[in-house]
Amino acid sequence: MLRLNAKTIFRWSFSLLAMVLLAPPSVPAADIGNCLLCHKYPGLSRIDEDGRLRLLFINEATMNSSVHARVKCEDCHTDIKKIPHDPAKKVDCLTQCHIVEPTSEQKFSHKEVARFLSKSVHGLKDRDQKPKKHPEDLPSCKDCHDNPLYRPLSIFKQKVHPGISKAALGRCRVCHKKDEFIYRFYNHVTTRLHKIRSPKNIAEICARCHDDAQLAARHGLSTKAVYSYGETFHGKAALFLDERVPDCLDCHVNPGRSVHQMLSYKDSNAITNENNKGLICANMDCHPGASPKLAEYRVHPEFDLERNPYQFYAQVFFLGMTGSVLLPIMGLLFLDLLRRMFPNASLRRRK
Amino acid sequence: MKKLLSKLYLLLLMAFTVFMMVVIWDVTLGKLVAEFRHRKLSQQATEMKAGQKEASETTTFKQAILEGEKRVKHYLGYRVLEQRWLKGHFHHIDFDFKPDKHNYCINCHGDMPHDKVKELRAFGNMHASFIGCQTCHVRLEGSARTGVFKWYDRTTGEIVDSPVEKGTQAGAYNAKIIPFERIDGRLQRVDTPERVAFARDYRKNEKTLTDIQKSKAKKIIHKIVSKKPYLCGDCHRKEGSLLPFKELGYPQERINVIVSTEVVGMIHKYTEFYMPRILHPGESEEK
Amino acid sequence: MATQPLIKIKDGKKYFYRFSAIQRAQHITIASSVIVLALTGMPLKFPDAPWAPSLYALFGGIKMAPIIHKTAGTILFLLFVFHLFYIARSIYTDLVVPLRRKNQLSAVAVLKGILTHPIMPSFRDVRDFAAYLKYLLFLSDKPPEGAKFTWKEKFDYWAPFWGIVVMVGSGFIMWHKELVTRYVSGEIINFALIAHSDEALLATLFLFIWHFYNVHFSTSVFPMGTVFITGYLPEHLMVEEHYDYYRQVMKEAGLEDEILPPPGSRREPVAAEMPAAAPSAASRESLVGGEEA
Repeated sequence: MLRLNAKTIFRWSFSLLAMVLLAPPSVPAADIGNCLLCHKYPGLSRIDEDGRLRLLFINEATMNSSVHARVKCEDCHTDIKKIPHDPAKKVDCLTQCHIVEPTSEQKFSHKEVARFLSKSVHGLKDRDQKPKKHPEDLPSCKDCHDNPLYRPLSIFKQKVHPGISKAALGRCRVCHKKDEFIYRFYNHVTTRLHKIRSPKNIAEICARCHDDAQLAARHGLSTKAVYSYGETFHGKAALFLDERVPDCLDCHVNPGRSVHQMLSYKDSNAITNENNKGLICANMDCHPGASPKLAEYRVHPEFDLERNPYQFYAQVFFLGMTGSVLLPIMGLLFLDLLRRMFPNASLRRRK
Repeated sequence: MKKLLSKLYLLLLMAFTVFMMVVIWDVTLGKLVAEFRHRKLSQQATEMKAGQKEASETTTFKQAILEGEKRVKHYLGYRVLEQRWLKGHFHHIDFDFKPDKHNYCINCHGDMPHDKVKELRAFGNMHASFIGCQTCHVRLEGSARTGVFKWYDRTTGEIVDSPVEKGTQAGAYNAKIIPFERIDGRLQRVDTPERVAFARDYRKNEKTLTDIQKSKAKKIIHKIVSKKPYLCGDCHRKEGSLLPFKELGYPQERINVIVSTEVVGMIHKYTEFYMPRILHPGESEEK
Repeated sequence: MATQPLIKIKDGKKYFYRFSAIQRAQHITIASSVIVLALTGMPLKFPDAPWAPSLYALFGGIKMAPIIHKTAGTILFLLFVFHLFYIARSIYTDLVVPLRRKNQLSAVAVLKGILTHPIMPSFRDVRDFAAYLKYLLFLSDKPPEGAKFTWKEKFDYWAPFWGIVVMVGSGFIMWHKELVTRYVSGEIINFALIAHSDEALLATLFLFIWHFYNVHFSTSVFPMGTVFITGYLPEHLMVEEHYDYYRQVMKEAGLEDEILPPPGSRREPVAAEMPAAAPSAASRESLVGGEEA
């Protein structure tokens, strides 16, 4: 839980200052190929043949506070072998890179994620293993992911706030000598203790497709999923940067599963399925002890007579009442002002 | 006087009332109508587009240019990272150049004009982010040649102290280099007020000019531009560099990098393999 | 109640008793709680508006503003309960007790008493409204001669009555959703949200435009009517708004000879030509208060 009150703003700035002052040496371990010799320049860019901006700049500081900081450039950009190089090919996220997963000592790759995704609601095949229409609409890695940035947490005396805890660093340094390692490890662990993106950012990512009316129409989805989320308290609180409210994934992903394993609500195993959705709200972190009936709340209500007749009429009644009370009243007010403008003008006079 | 004031006050209140009526309509009955229409339209869209994607995706000026610039904010807790959003761009940018308000070439050519030579285009644009166009594209000859270069501020256009210091992010300056020429014994910036004014007046009158007038104006504006720009090796060399790095405020260690074996060697590779194209940029497509 | 004089004279001007201290206290409570509720609620209704984030931040943002909102809502709810109790007590002391004393106590009599109370809507309001409309449309130069409570004031009283029921009810559902959905489907929260959000808009705009106009910004009262603090209404406003009632009060006080002409008469402004109150008024101590009563 992030506490965002005035007191912690001071603490953030302090921890930010601490991060700047104690930041690891700026020479990145990963830039063995000296790619930054050119790519550190923010102006390294061009407009491509389709009129799109191609920005070739790598911000070293931001890169260093991302989860890929230790991956060598050429581990992902495998086609680049020499300098100067030809225009680089698109990166294949499933490439095995030189990072070793410590428990299995296997080289790391995102292949498992791709396997998850292919079986999920976002996979290319439907539940009957038939290819879906419009595969080009379905997301691949970079449609949702940019380079994930660390969001470290400082935990001290039960108080949690964003940033790095100096107190914790002191304990790390007892055994570990390399500050660069300490920072990376600290960042990695505390980022994983909570979500790597704020609810607002998650909703923005989903909205790129799910608020696209035409895309939704092509796939028979109820339109503007994120828009309707934005009409709920959860969505509005997310807009005001509340980290405690659920984003899209918190309700749509089965507990204990990865985002990449999201299932269609038609799937009987999905948490969003009619038979299971009672469990969504009533978990320990959200509304403990709530009745399954709470989940009958419609998060994505549409202003639609056929789908939500009661809500349609309620909305019409209340908005209609508001308008039909206020507008005549404003008319009266206008006339009242006009009458005061010309207090003595009148068609009929008292004798 | 008091009467006039009170009439004025009434008039203001009346205007406010009308304004509020519009607002109220928008958020109540107008909203109902709009929602209703929106549903109708999207239902129609669903019926029409259920099976097929749009046949042709036309690129309108509005879509491609006006709506093309999106920004995104990442809420990291300890800071908010706001940056340009590029579809499918993986790495974070976290840097914005302030627009160059002074350079008059940019008005027509834009900020990223280099695109002819595949090997050079990105480097050209990179250098253009901290070196004024005239530095490479104007060859000062004879008495005009001074060897004096200074930094000007992107926002104000004024000559400023060197932004290059030890430890600053390379190439991320709020200033650009501009050459100085000597005319009638006087030292002056190449982008003289007269030249700036000429280009500005051309832009102002562009719509009303005849085709011949346009060609004439362009000729005069581009008169100082050299056919053969200065190239990489003119500065990236240990001896006799065009730019006086020291005077431009570069610390020795940065100069060492600029003229280092890596950089110069890379340029050498380029010139060795792609020399013909660099010297004849216009023909790059055929080769 | 009877201790307050119906007419007070200060600096030679007459002031008419309108609201008791307890009524004024209730008004200030509802006013301040509704202002806080609107300020902490509207940014959530219009989160995209440019003013929303800064206004919300003023109340401590998403961490604090909902707590303030709920607190103000609770105060409003308690006030509403108090007001119901206040009405019940008034019915008892002002209606039931006198009737019993006269040995006329019956359900019909009490109901009749309630329905004929000056705050209850009546046909007279329709007539007055028609007259007001005629006046506004320049069809007449004679504004309605208002009773003790005009149709505007009745609207101001009864609209929040309905409003508070809707707002407190729907607010309670959304606040205690876990409790409510133990018995009812969660879909009720959707209705509560619609009702809460739209009724809030209605109430806020109604109060901050219509009511504020009538008591603050109208040229008759600008910059601010003071009756909600003092409980006394100055004579020119009494004439303008409640002429009928004014005449009645003046007659009861034996000040028939000092009654001003009705509103809309060809004098302007009313206050400027108001004859200085006769010093003799001070002698009628029974109904008329002295300089510093």
